[in-house]
Amino acid sequence: MNESLINPFNITHPTAVQASLFALGSFARFDPSGRFVGVGRFDGVATIWDLDTKSAVRWLDGHVKAVTSLDWSRHSRYVLTSSKDWNVIVWDLASICDPPQRHATIRCDAPVSSASFHPRNSRIVLTLLNTGEVYLIDLRKAPHRGRTELFEPEGDEDEGQGQSSRRYAMTVARFDPTGKFVFVGTSGGYILVFNSRSKTMIARHRISGGSGSLKGLDFAKNGRRLVTNSSDRTLRQFIVPRYLSSGEFLEQELEPTHRFNDPINKTAWHAVSYSPDGEWLAGGAADAAMHKIYIWDISNDGQFASTLDGGREPLAHLHWHPSKSSIASTTNQGNVLIWHSPNAERWGAFAGGFEEVDENVEYEEREDEFDIEDEAEILRRKKEAEQEEVDIDTIEGESQIHEPDEVNGSVIGGDEDTRWADEDADDDVVTWKMRIVMDDDI
Amino acid sequence: MDPLAGMDESSTDDDNASQTTEDDPQVPEHGPAPPAPPPVDAPPQAQPAVPAREKPHYELRKTLNGHTMSISAVKFSPDGTLLASCGAETIVKIWSPFTGELIRNLTGHTAGLSDLSWSSDSVYLASASDDTLIQIWEVDTGLTHKTLKGHTKWVFCLNYNSTSTLLVSGSCDGDIKIWDARKGKCVKTLHAHLDYVTAVHFNRDSDLIVSCALDGLIRIWNTSNGQCLKTLAEDRNAICQQVQFSPNSKYILSTAHDSAIRLWDYKNHRCLKTYTGHTNTKYCISACFSVTGGKWIVGGSEDHKVYIWDLQTREIVQILQGHQDVVVAVATHPSQNMIATGSIDTDLSIKIWEDHRQGPQAQGSGST
Repeated sequence: MNESLINPFNITHPTAVQASLFALGSFARFDPSGRFVGVGRFDGVATIWDLDTKSAVRWLDGHVKAVTSLDWSRHSRYVLTSSKDWNVIVWDLASICDPPQRHATIRCDAPVSSASFHPRNSRIVLTLLNTGEVYLIDLRKAPHRGRTELFEPEGDEDEGQGQSSRRYAMTVARFDPTGKFVFVGTSGGYILVFNSRSKTMIARHRISGGSGSLKGLDFAKNGRRLVTNSSDRTLRQFIVPRYLSSGEFLEQELEPTHRFNDPINKTAWHAVSYSPDGEWLAGGAADAAMHKIYIWDISNDGQFASTLDGGREPLAHLHWHPSKSSIASTTNQGNVLIWHSPNAERWGAFAGGFEEVDENVEYEEREDEFDIEDEAEILRRKKEAEQEEVDIDTIEGESQIHEPDEVNGSVIGGDEDTRWADEDADDDVVTWKMRIVMDDDI
Repeated sequence: MDPLAGMDESSTDDDNASQTTEDDPQVPEHGPAPPAPPPVDAPPQAQPAVPAREKPHYELRKTLNGHTMSISAVKFSPDGTLLASCGAETIVKIWSPFTGELIRNLTGHTAGLSDLSWSSDSVYLASASDDTLIQIWEVDTGLTHKTLKGHTKWVFCLNYNSTSTLLVSGSCDGDIKIWDARKGKCVKTLHAHLDYVTAVHFNRDSDLIVSCALDGLIRIWNTSNGQCLKTLAEDRNAICQQVQFSPNSKYILSTAHDSAIRLWDYKNHRCLKTYTGHTNTKYCISACFSVTGGKWIVGGSEDHKVYIWDLQTREIVQILQGHQDVVVAVATHPSQNMIATGSIDTDLSIKIWEDHRQGPQAQGSGST
């Protein structure tokens, strides 16, 4: 909320490393409040870092093999970790014991490549297994509880071509920001869209021109745009089509609005992430010798903006901060770099009522500048100005961040999918508190 | 002069109605006397124009005696069950605000204390002392959990951030220090002011710190890099001694030595409200927001009284009398209509004031 005061020239993209966390992680993700970073490690531990103090505040020790993904519930109370040890664990950061105990454990039938919470309810979990299958796991009470595989129904119109060629392994699975849909990428370059309530496939998109296996998927916060990362070393941005609530099946080829690649080095991309306003796109280059992040300016027709150089340790993962101009990028040595956009200290800030200007300005005296004004009149005017009502305790921005009113063309709140997701809600409320832990040494 | 004008024109109905609504704000200044001074005819017409504002009715409930030297701060714990107080003696006292009994003394400092701050879980209490140290106490056991060393002069003020991971403290040499509360280590020192730093406060997101000092300036700092973002100054004689962010962090409230409390829109460098009527020219007197019932500003005064202003209209809505000396410390309860005040020199008592009349309805509105 104070970005405007800190950086009056509006948000830009980060440009420099602010801090390096010695985290031994393979990836790092900001939480939705932007206060923490969750780091998954090779040894099965996940650590939660506090960005105020830049120190690890919680150790989540539950997996016996490498952590493959980590997700946060919408108010950051619950953390989900998936691992190669076939388990998904949900942790409750509000628990009073330290280290926190697991809140739930989900056992799968294969190593889990990624898992995520439903954006509106942390009791609905989407998991992607190493074997290329996607499951939607509902941990809620009776009518909902269950584990459903999301699969591509056998095509009837293409029977002749042989369906075996159409059944590709699923390589990436994500909820869209509303949680109404699950987007699944396959090794054949298709994007499949499922309705998360009915678990049926509602759309299948072939990427125009073919792309090879999909490796990654990220949504802009408003859910209208999506970017894919695929094995042909190109990032593609698409406008997300509108899906009808009637549930009609949509077979459509998607034409990317932009293609991003590195024309010189032809590097592949390890990760891709939108800025919170969706105006920038960051791609983490899979360069073997350099830590490089490419930034594109989406609002300026996808023009390449700059490359951030993070030193010699190659990049493994990156994630953009949910509200600030900041990126967390992980090196393959396990260090997490926190990028920010520094601004030069404004010395004018030390003098009250003093404004710095960029260049010389010819001062023009106002007509009445040195007129002697009636003091009573000034006082009266001041009194009048003070009539204005002030609001000292409504916190703005809170609802906007987490629940965009209109996403993907439909209004949230009234429709069936949202109601379904909100039933038997979790107790992840804004007001939860993490227990304060003090180090014992004095 | 206005009230007289109103009386003269009382014959014409319309004029009278508008006059009385304008006059209303002035009346309470004459004393704590309750509302509606213009006689019977006014209320029905006045109501549609300006809805009758509710007024607080605080009454003295408890007087807590125990301090032997001037009180400098009183603070309710965030869960509302305890009240901590400190003064020029070396002891922190923990009271029950409901029964008025002394629960515990926290002893360990070697000089007088100036300020206190509770961690958000009400487990820890940080105290700022003239022995240049800050101590973090575990209130239940009464033991010192951490001693923060680093200031070179008397520590005058301190505050936790909303998540209690950081502490900020201001000292009499003009420095502000930011501490990692968990480790007890100083993470940053800001050479912030040229004189006593009299108040420091984090905003909700703890990305900003506001400070004020006897050099007369209010400054806003970026927590993460320590840069100064803004300086506010009102008048040359308006030396500011206490400053804090509003509950939503959109504004800051400052008290100054020209007997005025101001509410600032710090982003636009604009003073939105000025609350006057009390006396404050010499001491560091605190003021605070009260949001549990109506929206009030509560402040101490050098005329031994406690003033309550209406946040919006800026009129004095109640004056609490009872202290025998200057009231320097005030605190509002986080969830109930309760005010704690502390006084100096010849008084040395803490008084607990409650507004029971609004109790139930206030709690309803407070929880939404």
